[in-house]
Amino acid sequence: MDGGSLQGSGPLIQLLVDRVVEDPATDTRIVVLARKDGDLEHFMVWVGASEGEAIKRALDTSLTARPMSHDLIKSCGEHLGITTERVVLTDVKSSTYYATVFLENKGVTRTLDARPSDAISLALRCQAPIYVTQDVWQRRSGQQLDAWLSKLETKNIGAQEV
Amino acid sequence: MITQMQVKGLMFDPYNNAYIVILRDDDQVEMLPIWVGKAEASSISLALEKVAPPRPMTHDFMKSYLDAFDAKVISVVITDLSENTYFAKIHLMYGDSEYAVDSRPSDAIALALRTQAPIFASESVIRKQSSEELGQWLENLKPEDFGKLDS
Repeated sequence: MDGGSLQGSGPLIQLLVDRVVEDPATDTRIVVLARKDGDLEHFMVWVGASEGEAIKRALDTSLTARPMSHDLIKSCGEHLGITTERVVLTDVKSSTYYATVFLENKGVTRTLDARPSDAISLALRCQAPIYVTQDVWQRRSGQQLDAWLSKLETKNIGAQEV
Repeated sequence: MITQMQVKGLMFDPYNNAYIVILRDDDQVEMLPIWVGKAEASSISLALEKVAPPRPMTHDFMKSYLDAFDAKVISVVITDLSENTYFAKIHLMYGDSEYAVDSRPSDAIALALRTQAPIFASESVIRKQSSEELGQWLENLKPEDFGKLDS
């Protein structure tokens, strides 16, 4: 699907959720997104523990006994005929990312303001593409963090062996 | 038969390291405790205290998702209790049709509080949960167990 472009910036960059990493220093999770075009640089979003777990469950397509919050949103959409078309990471202010969720029903499109965690959680469950604007991509944090991330993961593995 | 319930409050359950949403009927006769996770409790607490967080939380997003297409939450019903798991239904009105969506009670309550939708419990759920058991549990609580929601 063509993500289109937002006014004033170049074409959107499609991202794929690569993995969710635990940040042992804080009770947060790091969602690591990779570019679909194969560019090796990553995009990272820090999210809360429960938000991170919700993304991880969708990524692992693990089933829970009862529907979790984003499964419920998806299920409401299925009942009402609402399609999640795409989600776009549209802005970053004071290290907080902003996302927009594009919904469609009977030819009517609506956009919703969302936290990236909710947007990504829903997108994964609905097989909707995830995009980032050129502007937000340029301003992403942790550009040099790939090395740090791999160190972190090695440490995590070590900790589990103890 | 269903009975309308009000959310009376949230408590921390130190024995299970979980939170309990206390529902009571209008006559204050029946009490229904529902154990929920930390994130769900925090979402219900924000709605109870009418706190508007700087960014939309998951249930705020859920509300705006439904609002975007004028779908209304008519009511939520706690329908069943089996092996300590509660089941709920969210009743939606969209166009001229009504839909019942399967949900966890925690999501149903968090959404109902944000949409001013009434919360009901089925008679069988109220009958099944032994209030005697809860009474004993409450007696064992110490005063310091209360008010720990923010910790």
